[in-house]
Amino acid sequence: MAKRRLKNDNVRVLDSLPMLIVCIAAVSALYFVCLTKLASNNTMRYMIQIFLYITMAQMWNLLSGFTGMTSLGQQLNIGLAGYSVAIATTKLHLSLGMGLLMGVGVSVVVALLMSLILYRMEGMYFSIATWVVAEIFEKLFLNWKYVGQGSGMTIRVVPYPRINEICVVALTVCVLAVAAVYFLLRTRIGLGLTAMRDDISAASAVGVNVFNHKLFVYTIAAAFTAVAAGIFLVNKGIVYPESGFSISWTISLVFIVIVGGSGTVGGPIVGAVIYVFLQEYLARFPGWSNIILGAITILTILFLPKGIMGTLQEKLGFEIFSAKRFSYSKRR
Amino acid sequence: MSDALLSIKNLSAGYGDFVAVESVDLAVKKGQIVSLIGINGAGKTTLMHTVAGLHKPASGKVLFGGEDITGLPADKIVAKGLSLVPQGGRCFTRMSVQDNLLMGSFPRSARKNAKQTLEHIYELFPDLGEMKQRPAGNLSGGQRQMVAIGRALMGDPECLIFDEISLGLSPAVINDIYKKIKRINEEENTSIILIEQDIHRALKASDAFYVMLKGRVALSGQSDEIDSETLKKAYFGI
Amino acid sequence: MYFAQVLINGILLGSVYALLGVGMTMIFGIVKLTNLAHGEFVILGAYLSTVLAPLLGIDPILTLFITVPLMFLLGFLLQYLLIGWAMKKGSEPALLVTFGLSIILQDGMLMLFSADAQHIPVSYSMDTVKIGSLEISVLHLVLFAISLVSIAALSLFLRNTYIGRAIRATADDADVAALSGVNINRIYAIAMGIAMASAAVAGLCVGMKWTYDPSAGGNYLLIAFVVVVIGGMGSVPGTLVAGILFGMAQVIGGASYGLLISYILLLLVLIFRPKGIFGK
Repeated sequence: MAKRRLKNDNVRVLDSLPMLIVCIAAVSALYFVCLTKLASNNTMRYMIQIFLYITMAQMWNLLSGFTGMTSLGQQLNIGLAGYSVAIATTKLHLSLGMGLLMGVGVSVVVALLMSLILYRMEGMYFSIATWVVAEIFEKLFLNWKYVGQGSGMTIRVVPYPRINEICVVALTVCVLAVAAVYFLLRTRIGLGLTAMRDDISAASAVGVNVFNHKLFVYTIAAAFTAVAAGIFLVNKGIVYPESGFSISWTISLVFIVIVGGSGTVGGPIVGAVIYVFLQEYLARFPGWSNIILGAITILTILFLPKGIMGTLQEKLGFEIFSAKRFSYSKRR
Repeated sequence: MSDALLSIKNLSAGYGDFVAVESVDLAVKKGQIVSLIGINGAGKTTLMHTVAGLHKPASGKVLFGGEDITGLPADKIVAKGLSLVPQGGRCFTRMSVQDNLLMGSFPRSARKNAKQTLEHIYELFPDLGEMKQRPAGNLSGGQRQMVAIGRALMGDPECLIFDEISLGLSPAVINDIYKKIKRINEEENTSIILIEQDIHRALKASDAFYVMLKGRVALSGQSDEIDSETLKKAYFGI
Repeated sequence: MYFAQVLINGILLGSVYALLGVGMTMIFGIVKLTNLAHGEFVILGAYLSTVLAPLLGIDPILTLFITVPLMFLLGFLLQYLLIGWAMKKGSEPALLVTFGLSIILQDGMLMLFSADAQHIPVSYSMDTVKIGSLEISVLHLVLFAISLVSIAALSLFLRNTYIGRAIRATADDADVAALSGVNINRIYAIAMGIAMASAAVAGLCVGMKWTYDPSAGGNYLLIAFVVVVIGGMGSVPGTLVAGILFGMAQVIGGASYGLLISYILLLLVLIFRPKGIFGK
């Protein structure tokens, strides 16, 4: 009994003023680095990747780790965002900002349409359905002349933003995403979400509107994923059906969240940093990179099922960014 | 205690931090019918699930036929001749009655005589013989209970545990099933443990009894020697 | 006449799609696990047959006598040693382990066999037989025979043997199966072995009919999903009918719209009959 209570007695680091200050300082330092071009272009390229992966992974974490909706179709929003940006900038000659907004708009509309499916499905049916919808869009884009069918579209942004500008935007999106998840989970909605993850029928029995909650979370995740993916693909300069709607996007997100710690706000941050560096390192061993990523994922699930952050929190007894609304120590 | 077929020694078990069974001693002789009586949540089912291998013990020992079977998985324990008939007549609902019964002869030792045992069971429960090919999911509660008993008998057990066999059944059906249990006991000299909430029925059917309360054995003795007042006190813990 | 031709081709090819689904549906119904590596299992089976046939100088179909036992063993060990371990930690970890396996297998095959498209050549691939005014491909007839024999053999095994009954019993109620003397973990491993053996047969069929490469697994996984969900998870006859429906969609829709039609069919089934057409 005693041991169990200890786990809930974790010191909640962000609740304390010092931690809040540390966070604000860290974020300000990152902004400073980006704005003043203190970092080299190469460093900033990594930072952009990390910020964007944090955003997308945080959203997958929100779906899977906090709400129990294990989506295998995040590539849907990524592909849609990529094509929206491409159409807006290359075909319609709009600004990048308009393109990103269009990406968000399209993703949100599709997410709302997806509610038809969400309403019906749980667990693995949901996983399959999300993947199948992404595949459907891939097939549609493969056959659609306007977007170049199989060869896809180049993304030409005029004027092309400077790298530190992209870095600032990516950082802003990332901070907003983390903050959104953090605050969302501490509201009444967050409580409903975690209840749904743990037992969906019990949650609906105590009056959680399961459908509304799912739709809300799914839409938020779609919007943030779309923005991040839009920026990501502008950097790549091209989008085609097999890349935009590829399941490998979701593979990366799964890796990041599982290794970092599913169901913790800090997890995707740690996971994304590891992922970006690991990928860079593994580029030296062509062919092996996915094998190693897969092996690390499996080993993490078997030996560190709570991921790095989850295990650290348990061992050291503190929580950064606690998503819990109540602390046992406070209540007593 | 040395002539006991099944003996439970100082057994404890629980769920997480919750202790459901605490230092229980219990013994069943060859051919004996023992009833395990107690209110809901007294720990009867957890105790027997632990004995049968569905639940891991926290401490203590279970000996069966002189052999230590503590903590063995359920399938190994069944193969040794100790069989549990779970609560509510749980069956393989999508399988036919005959397939359900044949599942009971899964342990290798039981396969040889499966045909004869099957005939014997159809003789014991003539109802089942008439619905061999019906899916077990379509049967009534009492019929399912018979399938569950038949399935356990197919394994040719030396000791049978019945978990609340009368739960949710009509008195006529219960009487019938109790007669069958008595017959099994007499014909095969099978030891039997009856988990029951109904004190009178349990005492009438058994040779010895144990009363459980809050995870412990509150009282035990010979069924024909106990007066109902003492028993009731132990049962309710007053 | 067109309709009869579509019907025949749909049924013949549909049996292959059903076979793709059978391994998946077994794992789902018995182990209660979604095996995301099933597509890679199929491709692995295809590669094994492609490599073994010329190596041993035998007909590709005869390679099944090697690939089926080999893949059975592999599946058995995989479940017994790895997936079963992950299952103790919950259903999501197990799902993600199969996800990890699929990535590893895919890139492992890429390194072993390169990204080149492969095909299992047979002498009769272009032959047809005429029945009335219907023209039927001999290859399709052979594939139909292989698939149907495999599915029938599996059904008979499940119906009439002790292990088969134990497999069905475990799918129904694992606790009671254990109380009947069944070692559940062993049954799970056998089920995974059977699923992988069926993937070996499906792989042979896929390789004989189409070209494939290491990255094709995802496609066949999705096909298996579609067939399984339409047929109702865990139901072998349902899978057969769903496979044939899927086959007809392919024949009608052709290369560009065949998959699209079946995906939309799947979504409709998911929305209106979430447990599948034949599910209860």
